[in-house]
Amino acid sequence: MAFLIAFHWSWLVGAFVIGLGMGWVAVVHRARGVSRPVTLLLSVLAGVLVAAAVACLIPGRAGYWVELLLLLFLPYLAGCAIGTWLRTLVVRRSMRMNSAA
Amino acid sequence: MRGLFRWSGKWWPGVIPLVVLWGFAAWTSTLPLENDLASRSSAALRGSVLDKTSITVDGRDVYLRANAFSEAGRRDAVAAVDAVAGVRLVNDETRLVPEAKPFVWSAERDVVRLTLSGDAPLPALKGKLVEATRAALPGVEVADQMVLARGAPSRFEDAALLLIGQLGKLKDGKFAISDSDVALSGMARELGGRESITAALSKLPEGFKVASNEVKAPPYIFQAYKDPVAVTVTLSGNVPDENIHAVVVGSSSRKFFNEKVVDNLKNSIGAPTNFVNAVVPALGALSRLSTGTLVVSDRDIKLSGDALYDAAAAQIRSGLAKDVPQGWQVKADITVKPAAAPVDPTVCQQLFSELLGKARIRFETGRSDLDRDSTGFLDRLVEIAMRCPSAIVEIAGHTDAEGEEGANQTLSEKRAQAVVDYLVKAGLPADRFTAVGYGSSQPVASNDTGEGRTQNRRIDFVVR
Repeated sequence: MAFLIAFHWSWLVGAFVIGLGMGWVAVVHRARGVSRPVTLLLSVLAGVLVAAAVACLIPGRAGYWVELLLLLFLPYLAGCAIGTWLRTLVVRRSMRMNSAA
Repeated sequence: MRGLFRWSGKWWPGVIPLVVLWGFAAWTSTLPLENDLASRSSAALRGSVLDKTSITVDGRDVYLRANAFSEAGRRDAVAAVDAVAGVRLVNDETRLVPEAKPFVWSAERDVVRLTLSGDAPLPALKGKLVEATRAALPGVEVADQMVLARGAPSRFEDAALLLIGQLGKLKDGKFAISDSDVALSGMARELGGRESITAALSKLPEGFKVASNEVKAPPYIFQAYKDPVAVTVTLSGNVPDENIHAVVVGSSSRKFFNEKVVDNLKNSIGAPTNFVNAVVPALGALSRLSTGTLVVSDRDIKLSGDALYDAAAAQIRSGLAKDVPQGWQVKADITVKPAAAPVDPTVCQQLFSELLGKARIRFETGRSDLDRDSTGFLDRLVEIAMRCPSAIVEIAGHTDAEGEEGANQTLSEKRAQAVVDYLVKAGLPADRFTAVGYGSSQPVASNDTGEGRTQNRRIDFVVR
């Protein structure tokens, strides 16, 4: 894991930045959110992929690419979470200021 | 936290650029990652003793192919690659180097190259054997056809290096080790090389034994050439040691009374047994020829040339075979020199005197037996006697003044008779020769000095 992080750190930073941007936008985005069954389905898919990666079920390059995808998802999700949290803070603050005015 | 969960439902559009990013990352990083893992896996195996190592990386999975020399070595190699950071799985395709039974190694030398073949226990030792061979035979092409195998006998390295050290003494042939048996064949480069190799083999490591040693030595050659034009006898080839060298040269000087002895002999070990006992009679036979060549090759004696008369040719042919020690082969290719033109008795006397002025007929000390060294000289006297068939010759025996007069008289008569007997045996009519003994009554020099006494002990040929 440490090797993968060290080897792909630039791509991980990129994924984090994308996540940060997506999180920032998500708060004010008008698009429909993912429905609960789809979320569940995606969670199961993610779980299956993680399990396959941990158990080294997918051989060769395909296995490596799955690991890389999962690895990029982690900073993406972290970026989304941080972006959303920051945007929420900003939105709340401006809403408070508007209501005070 | 609940807010975060609520908003997470809207994070999905970012997955699209993330997937694009993932595609780029996979596209650009796969090969560098594989190369990095391959180089670090190779580095991890640097200390391992393996043969035919091949590392292939597919993603983060390493395929390791190699021949190991022990089960532990095989396990260690897999573990070493497995411990490389970033490697996910090691596909173990290693196997053990096959075991050779019997474990056979050989070094074969021909005219231009030396070929190492058979089994070698380890790559490092294989290289060491090649290097040692190059060092032992500078300038010789060394071909390495060894294959790696397990099952070498203990101390194989010492035995192989010992044999490699002896390769320089071999002209062509083969040294081989089969388990603990050492077999040698071929031809030694020099005389004595065979003995030297045999001596070195006594230092073989414990457990090894010489199963067969068929290294042959080059033939031991001795040659003598009697040249009537240059009036020389040229001795060449080998003699065993300084003592025998002196014996051969001394004997030649006595036998070839008229010729200058040119000594080109060198001392070399490896002579067949009884060398001197065969060469000295052969030189005696050569001394009886007017021109001739003697070649002694190992135990084969070849004598060719021209005898001075028919009986001499027959005597040489039959006599030499009896004179040489048992086990020696004689091939005498003797022809007879055409008889010289007859001359007057006075010329004969002149020729006798001239020849007797150059040398003396020798006898055994105090006895009347002809010394074998004088045979060639006597043949010259026979040849002259044959040129004047009508001449009556008195063979006069003389002694010095040492000892009793009566004994000297008897000795001089017997010695003169011995010479007459030799002449008759050569085919000359007995009635042409009379043996007369004069004792010490007719000295030609003073009997007070050794030199004078030597001159007085003589046989004269007087044509009547």
